[in-house]
Amino acid sequence: MTGSVRTEGEKSEQSLGQQSEFLAEKIGEVRREISKAIVGQREVVDGVLIALLAGGHVLLEGAPGLGKTMLVRTLAQAVALKYSRIQFTPDLMPADVIGTSVVQENTEGSKLLGFQPGPIFANLLLADEINRATPKTQSALLEAMQEKQVTVAHTSHQLEEPFFVMATQNPLEMEGTYPLPEAQLDRFLFKLRVPFPGREDLHGILDRTTQGTVAEVRPVVNGPQILEMRSVVRAVPLAPHVQEYVVKLTLATHPEGRENLLASRYIRYGSSPRGAQTLILGGKVRALLDGRFNVSLEDVRALLLPALRHRIILNFEAQADGRATDDLLEEIAGKIG
Amino acid sequence: MIFREKIKLASLVHASGVVFFSAFRNLREGFVSGNHPQNLVNPASLRQDYFKQDCPPDLRAPVNILKAIRRRLLANTLLSGWMAWAGWILTGLIVAGALSAKLAVWMVLAVFLAVIGAIAIFAWVWRTRLSIYETARRLDEVAGLQDRISTAIYLGEARNPEGVIQRQRRDAVSRLRKVEPRGLFPVRMPAAAPRALLLVLAVAGLFTYRIDHKAPLVALVQTTARSPLVQSMRSPLAHGIQKDLQRSISQVTLESKGSAGQDSGSDARSSSEDLWSSGDKAGGDPQADQQNSLEVGGMPQDQMQGPSDQTGASSAAFKQDRNSGAPWQDATNENTGRAETSAQPPDAQRAGNTKQSLGQSLMQALKNMFSKSSTRQSDLRNSQLPQPPMQDAPQSGDFQQPGTTENDRKSESRGISDAKDQSSQNAGSGAGSQQGTKMMRRNLETHPVNAVPDRVALQASGYRDQTRVRVDPETGTARLGVQNVPLQGETVVNGAEQENIPARYRLYVQRYFTRVDNRKQ
Repeated sequence: MTGSVRTEGEKSEQSLGQQSEFLAEKIGEVRREISKAIVGQREVVDGVLIALLAGGHVLLEGAPGLGKTMLVRTLAQAVALKYSRIQFTPDLMPADVIGTSVVQENTEGSKLLGFQPGPIFANLLLADEINRATPKTQSALLEAMQEKQVTVAHTSHQLEEPFFVMATQNPLEMEGTYPLPEAQLDRFLFKLRVPFPGREDLHGILDRTTQGTVAEVRPVVNGPQILEMRSVVRAVPLAPHVQEYVVKLTLATHPEGRENLLASRYIRYGSSPRGAQTLILGGKVRALLDGRFNVSLEDVRALLLPALRHRIILNFEAQADGRATDDLLEEIAGKIG
Repeated sequence: MIFREKIKLASLVHASGVVFFSAFRNLREGFVSGNHPQNLVNPASLRQDYFKQDCPPDLRAPVNILKAIRRRLLANTLLSGWMAWAGWILTGLIVAGALSAKLAVWMVLAVFLAVIGAIAIFAWVWRTRLSIYETARRLDEVAGLQDRISTAIYLGEARNPEGVIQRQRRDAVSRLRKVEPRGLFPVRMPAAAPRALLLVLAVAGLFTYRIDHKAPLVALVQTTARSPLVQSMRSPLAHGIQKDLQRSISQVTLESKGSAGQDSGSDARSSSEDLWSSGDKAGGDPQADQQNSLEVGGMPQDQMQGPSDQTGASSAAFKQDRNSGAPWQDATNENTGRAETSAQPPDAQRAGNTKQSLGQSLMQALKNMFSKSSTRQSDLRNSQLPQPPMQDAPQSGDFQQPGTTENDRKSESRGISDAKDQSSQNAGSGAGSQQGTKMMRRNLETHPVNAVPDRVALQASGYRDQTRVRVDPETGTARLGVQNVPLQGETVVNGAEQENIPARYRLYVQRYFTRVDNRKQ
């Protein structure tokens, strides 16, 4: 019995090994397809792909015109997933997002209350300018993002896997916006900041967008393949000292620790356990994308900011001193070593 | 599945003593560092003696490399530990060579300590040596292998790995081939080696010097003690010590022979008087003084006194001390009676009783001294009390020295009665005219007014030096130039005070507005 189980396990591991190579190859193709439409932004693209393979959601933050929406649309084309877009506005209601029950007439002519699915029923959901909607509407995504289902009129409706939310927000125009609640923020695997492109990237953008040629992005990965890749990701081994480092890092963001002088001075609430899960899962994907089959401390350090920057709430003293979350996190990581 | 196997293996190997000790060490380290043990599941690959186990064939080459690296790390740790210990031993030898006369004992002790320390350091370093896994972590860190080797070692228990683990192991082994690990971990001379070399040279030089010379520090102390400067500093101290020594010795001698003296107590008292009288009579006779002191001390004067050149001065001082005791001794004579003076003993008997009489006289002198000091203290206490004004006759006796004159006694008794009757008046009697107080009281009784609370001094607010308000000068006065004081800052400071912002946040608010103002500018 044990031998048969072991054999099955070895077989599954063998297939996992092949899948890991397949994953690295496919992700390379996705990168190439995205780079046809998006110039530069390598870190943002990698972050989005890591979140897609780790099974999380991404919050993109950047000034207008930096290609956030373009990136999401290109990704949707490259991965051949059902794509849906919601433009969040102050008058958007939760029913506009998740759907509602409407009176429907069947073939026999009788009228019944039936569920009309909202735009959330897609594989890849773009929540554009999510901070423009009220917290009530923003909270409509909570159940969908965590449990991959929505509940309307006491009935739960499962969302199709893979379900991947990419939200964007503009950090400049804060007037008429509603900051995302902490529970909502914690559900995003990464918060990626889209930087302004450099000189060469800007030249590339101008060349591609002001001429007659339009980039054609072909789909290279589909939904089931992405689900297979997600199972491969979880098989990547992790050394105990790397896990210990993640635990230390997460605990060091909490102000309750005796040794966390920096956190106790500037941080009101530290990272949740989701932050530690994000660091490890993201590290596994990053290792595979890097051609490795083990998570290293370097992977964890590289994902520290996108994974934890939105899970930490600073206190008044930090705001008065002008301390940024990224700086604090880097200082904390530097102290841990 | 691999992790499940690891857990099984860990439960099997937990029975061994080595694992128990390593687990205990992890627990202790976790306790010391305030963290929990790193690995609750402790697989065999994490143990120190993992290489002794039958590791997988494809991992033997990396494990051998790691063993070599660990030997180098051990050598470096041992060298640095031994060097530090040798430094302490050599420092101790230098101190011993500078202070002690018996060098051979210290040499033997140093050799013994060096051997014992070297063995202890070796045992400690071997006990706390890195495991193969920890060595792999070091190698990953130094060679930039991104935790490949340590992960491969951690997963090394899988005999025939497949899938991701096999690929990970292959990747780690192939990467390890590309680096030169032995070059990354050379055997280095410890940082304390130059210091130890200097200490060795110093010890050699010191011991060579000691072949023909005394201990240098001892010789230095002796030379310094004989120097004129130290002698001049030491003479007043020696003089005081000598006097105290003489007194205490005489008192001890007196107590030891006190029982014999009690039989003829009156005789001893008379002999004491005789001693002082003879001392007075002797006046400046140095021979008599010296003889007395010899008899009192029971030892030669040279032993009690320091250098011979101070003998004259000290004996003169002692004489003066005895002369100064004569007045209170005279007072004692008045009390103790005069009949004993008529029965004068012969000279020999007088000399035999000198020790007892001196002790008794010293005791009496001490008693007198204490009684005088207590009188002086009571005087001082009285003088500290507030003195009443001279014109206040009725209550002025309250604070005078009692019992000196008849009037005083009367006034004292009156004052006491006043104190019983009018305590409030007495409370104010020291401050000014009591009559005036009475008059005021009478006026208050005749013209009652509403009670108005006295002014109470407010405490300092503490904000005195926080606010700097620019005040426009009056017409005709010069306007002082104030530099580097932005208007916004002043407004903020004043506004912060008005809005009652807590003091600890006031600085932040001020900074915030200053920043805003700078941005606007």
